[in-house]
Amino acid sequence: MHEFSMATQIVENVLKEAKRNNAKKVAEVHLIIGKMTFLGVDQIRFSYGVLVKDTIMKDSKLIIEEQNGVIQCDSCGFKGPVPVEDDPAYHIPVPTLKCPKCGKEAKIVEGKECTIKSIRILKPQEKDDDTKQ
Amino acid sequence: MSILTKEKQVINGNEVSLEIKPGMNILQVNKDLAKKNQEMLQKHKVKAIDIMGSIGAGKTSLIEQLVQKLKQKYRIAIFKGDLTTTIDADRIGKHGVQVVTINTGRECHLDAHVVSKAVEKINVESIDLLIIENVGNLICPAEFPLGTDKRVVVISVTEGPYMILKHPFTFMNADVMVINKKDLAQTMKIDIKKLENQAKEVKPTIKVAVTNALTGEGIEELIKALEL
Repeated sequence: MHEFSMATQIVENVLKEAKRNNAKKVAEVHLIIGKMTFLGVDQIRFSYGVLVKDTIMKDSKLIIEEQNGVIQCDSCGFKGPVPVEDDPAYHIPVPTLKCPKCGKEAKIVEGKECTIKSIRILKPQEKDDDTKQ
Repeated sequence: MSILTKEKQVINGNEVSLEIKPGMNILQVNKDLAKKNQEMLQKHKVKAIDIMGSIGAGKTSLIEQLVQKLKQKYRIAIFKGDLTTTIDADRIGKHGVQVVTINTGRECHLDAHVVSKAVEKINVESIDLLIIENVGNLICPAEFPLGTDKRVVVISVTEGPYMILKHPFTFMNADVMVINKKDLAQTMKIDIKKLENQAKEVKPTIKVAVTNALTGEGIEELIKALEL
């Protein structure tokens, strides 16, 4: 539902980063979106397409990597994928925070990301390129 | 905010292709701000609660009941998130507590930033309980912690039997669940016990209060669940 505002922040931050690096063009943006967020990948993609028009991000390639949910239990130390319970009354698979090993409540450690993993920019070649490492 | 962890260069004619790795988690920005809010409120010994739930679930009515029951014990301020109006703020304001309306315009949830701005409008020294009513929406607010001690999700029996099964992530992010409009459960053919069990399946430590916000029934249960 709030994909547009998240995409706005993504684009703003990419543009800021691009400007800081004197980019002429942004060629590629690589995002990580966690499956435990409320963000729909298709809607992010759509919003991104709308937002990059008239910017140096136009025609950039958007790569979205989805991150599965992982829980960790402080009680027994279990770490693994978010368990899914099948509600017997409705046969609807429901994700749960209940630790599959000890039944206590676990916490989500992965799957809540909305991360700009990397950006590829194009910039004019400088003689003394201070970004060279 | 940017951390350049790795840079890669490819020469391409007169242009240089450069890979930047900001590693910036946009959702983490809100979480960090929420933490700041929480530290600030704790420093001033202000307890804070965030109330989430669909439009019409009974969030404002519950707050009115809470205010009536708690205003002798606490000096209360309310932040009321709404898209455009001050209808609810006026309702709560009648009970003689400070109310700040946060009009989000188009946004479907409150975030830690707008809350920090609203905090600037009140004198935190003069309150010891802050209740924040989120925008009427069962989904998005759960993704944006505000820096409160407790998060409450309100559902009502008129919303049907599938609220928890359809929106498990919202309940994972709540400490307390309120099942409101209990007087209509029979009419709506809702099994309240079943809803409670579903919530505990998704989040084992969730506390549950069953209420009728119009009569005040179950409010003591809610106050206990909130440890107020």
